[in-house]
Amino acid sequence: MLRLIVIFFMLGLHLNAEDCVDCHKKEAQKCQSSNHYTLSNAINITRKAWGIKDSNVTLQTIPHSKIDVKKPSDLVDDFLRRKCLKCHLNVKNSGERGMKRQRGCLACHSKHSKKGRCQTKKIAMSKCLSCHNKEFVGTDYKGLFPKDYSHSFRTPLQKDGKYPSQRYGIDFHHLNQDIHYKLGMSCVDCHNNKNGKNWKKNITCKDCHKELSKSNHKEYHSNISCSACHSSWNMSSYELSVFRDDTADYAKWKDLTLQEDAYLNKFLKKALKSKKKIKPVMPDWVDMKQKKGVWYSGWRYRRWEDMVLGVDMNGTIKILRPIFQYRVSYRDANGSMVLDDVSSVDGKPLEAWAPYSPHTITKKAKSCERCHNTEIKKGGVYSLKIPKVIYNGKALSKTQTDRLKSYKYKKIRAKMLN
Amino acid sequence: MNLEKPIAKPSSPDQCMSCHSSTTNMDKSHPIEVFGCFKCHGGNRYATNKKDAHRGVVLNPSRLEYANRFCGECHSDVVKRVSSSMMQSQNGILNVLKFQWGELSTPIGLEGVVELKDKNSTSLAESHFRKACASCHVNQHEDVFDDKKYARGGGCVDCHRIEKGHQEKNHYVHSKLSSKIPSKNCLKCHNRSNRIGISYFGKFESEGYGTPYKHGEFSHKLDGSRFYYELPADIHHTKAGLDCIDCHTEKGVMGDGKKNHHMEDAEDIKCNDCHKPKFKKADSLAVMLSDLNGNIPETKSIAYTNKKNSPIYNLQKDKNSTKFYRKRDGKAFDMSNMSNKPYHTLDIHKRLDCTSCHSSWVPSCYGCHEVYFENGKQFDWVKREVTKGSWQEFRSFLRFESPSLGVGYNKKIMPFAPGCQVIGTLFKDKKVEKFHAMAMAGWDPHTTQKEVRSCEDCHFNPASLGLGRGNLDIKNNRIFFEPFYNSKKSGMPFSYPIDGFVSSDGKQFQTTSRKDARSFNKKELQKIVGAYKCILCHDRYSDKIYKDFNKSKILFNSGKTVCLD
Repeated sequence: MLRLIVIFFMLGLHLNAEDCVDCHKKEAQKCQSSNHYTLSNAINITRKAWGIKDSNVTLQTIPHSKIDVKKPSDLVDDFLRRKCLKCHLNVKNSGERGMKRQRGCLACHSKHSKKGRCQTKKIAMSKCLSCHNKEFVGTDYKGLFPKDYSHSFRTPLQKDGKYPSQRYGIDFHHLNQDIHYKLGMSCVDCHNNKNGKNWKKNITCKDCHKELSKSNHKEYHSNISCSACHSSWNMSSYELSVFRDDTADYAKWKDLTLQEDAYLNKFLKKALKSKKKIKPVMPDWVDMKQKKGVWYSGWRYRRWEDMVLGVDMNGTIKILRPIFQYRVSYRDANGSMVLDDVSSVDGKPLEAWAPYSPHTITKKAKSCERCHNTEIKKGGVYSLKIPKVIYNGKALSKTQTDRLKSYKYKKIRAKMLN
Repeated sequence: MNLEKPIAKPSSPDQCMSCHSSTTNMDKSHPIEVFGCFKCHGGNRYATNKKDAHRGVVLNPSRLEYANRFCGECHSDVVKRVSSSMMQSQNGILNVLKFQWGELSTPIGLEGVVELKDKNSTSLAESHFRKACASCHVNQHEDVFDDKKYARGGGCVDCHRIEKGHQEKNHYVHSKLSSKIPSKNCLKCHNRSNRIGISYFGKFESEGYGTPYKHGEFSHKLDGSRFYYELPADIHHTKAGLDCIDCHTEKGVMGDGKKNHHMEDAEDIKCNDCHKPKFKKADSLAVMLSDLNGNIPETKSIAYTNKKNSPIYNLQKDKNSTKFYRKRDGKAFDMSNMSNKPYHTLDIHKRLDCTSCHSSWVPSCYGCHEVYFENGKQFDWVKREVTKGSWQEFRSFLRFESPSLGVGYNKKIMPFAPGCQVIGTLFKDKKVEKFHAMAMAGWDPHTTQKEVRSCEDCHFNPASLGLGRGNLDIKNNRIFFEPFYNSKKSGMPFSYPIDGFVSSDGKQFQTTSRKDARSFNKKELQKIVGAYKCILCHDRYSDKIYKDFNKSKILFNSGKTVCLD
């Protein structure tokens, strides 16, 4: 039996897992069921957004995409395998700044010291951020917001005339940092394994901040997540157009080589420079094989100041973020457009949103107005700011939106202002 | 009309027709039968061979160096005005640039492009102007543009030509000229900088993603490598399909003969010229213009601009109605006057320009990173040759929502946006120099809507107040503001947020494009944000507290009135 487990881990968790498991059998087993290992959240929510109902696969069971593509859902697994799943425990790092790490257990549990690499219980933040960058929670903790892709946003130029340096293949704006970061805390200070809690999911602010001194915490806002009020900014990334192109058509991407994808940046730079014809290939990060076709992407626009509220599965009011309002194109090797900007599943828009907790916490909460005065204009791309489908939650009810402008609210707020 | 057809054998006053008999007419006002060729193009009208006939011929007589001799024979007043107009001199652009970059103490002075023509030495701002701005003026040479689609210049024809001259199978189609100038002619130039031309049509120059991809290519292309996305277009476009010339009078566009320092000095039209019009008897210019237009009825009573008393001959009043006629085709629209509702008449907002409430968005391009390579080479649009030194432009981020407000050139409150926030890096022979010249500018964004911004969008939105994006709050009558953007960490040479025009205690961070324009000051900020306490409940203009708001405040502060029960 033990032998079987060891073999499994040799296949499942790379490298030194075999050594680790000898002693850390329990931990290894736990890891196997963790989201870090299965990536089932990211995989299934994306599959759902691309039109697969009741999706329940993991990194270990994700199929290959169909060859005969008719709709976005036929391509979603290819998209996941080649764009998203480059972040998993067993993937070999690409060597980009910020993304250097080991595989297997050591992906997180290693530390570089002067004496050489050593294992560690205290996981460095840099290990977490090697995956948790971009639009999701992670780099926001350090106040980082990805800049737009075009080279014209890569500013200011450095003294040697070069573009500013990137981390994770991304050039960032610097915004307000999370107060916990400013105080020197790293990810594992909260997301730890103490008290037997599952280290990612169950940590809440209240676990540490037991005393909620101010009355309005209890009186009016008891069913609101802390981060809805105490986050500084949050990420709203509207409408992501993705395009798999199996033809060698690179010239038009010359200003857009930086697409938050270190492989693609390198590939495009090479392809644009080369006099030889470079085949359009991109790795499948699950089976680590080069496969035909290159995935490109581009936003409609992104904001850090927009704020839309919704309700999560527990009935708690939270900030929503778009995920990601996909529009899908696919051109096959013969040059025919198999999918041409398809944005619907059964005629319904893909414009999905989901509740989340921005890690941009400030001591001073938002002013009441940032929630109570929300007003969304209509027309043109403004409409992307209105949530149409909400995953893992729902929109505010009419009673809740009415309450935002209620007499009671105004009365209390006026008292605070006068 | 059979103007389009080639004229078989026109009787012409010139000999030219013996060769050029297949040339078509350019418009109904200049028939070849009457004008011939010589009158407009010079040469020798009596010669019968090409060499003699073409001696001294001018291909484009509307270039301003010739226009006086040719077009000016009849239109001398207009030629004179255009020659000194801002669209020709670009002095507004050059002077503001020099002012913002610290080369002038006020944003006025100099002649503009003409002055640079014979000048060899060039300051940094002048160098930038030559290479990045000077391509857009009325008398630019069309032949210097590689892509003829974007060719500008040529004198009168820059605006008035609606079809370029070309050879067809068996006849030559003469360039067609018109006074009904299509907006696309204006947009050849008015699509950059404050971008009013494209904003009017609901296009916002985007971050350059070219999304969504259509047929495997980028969509929403503007020109070159620029892209846009759709936002609500100006109501004058969506409701009536008006063109630029429907509002902008000939005097406002072609100049009034005076040397103007800024666009707003040259500009003639104001919202209330049409929406609160004063009607007078049509003058001879109005009669001539409506006759020339051909689509607009002649009438006795028309509106005039308040500023330069120009006839708005397409806004007419008869016994029963007020009609606005679209110049392109004469389509009539009922004119809606500015209402006398409290929001337009109350004292509280008398300092507001119409644009401060009615502009729904403004293109705001934060961080204009200008990079100069001393050893680079780039085309100089004034000299029309490649010279030493090249510029490249980068940006930080774009926004269109919640236009910032400030006190504009007319001392009224209007929308502001970066104009321009220059963070310069100069790569010189052996060293790298840095400078920054951060400025905001106020203008009419041409994104007018009937619906206005909400009270809170100005009174409690930090972006609108000019503080930047962030968290705004008031406590004990003090304004607190925590910006989101960290300029220092983002590599800027200053510590205020890049979208901050002013601090919460009224310290102005950035200059403007005008001597008198500025951000709100401390007193104004406190007044605006202070009023929010009332707006919270009293959110209608019709509310009685606004009838005499100062009095209401005194009563409230002295405890004679109370809010809430």
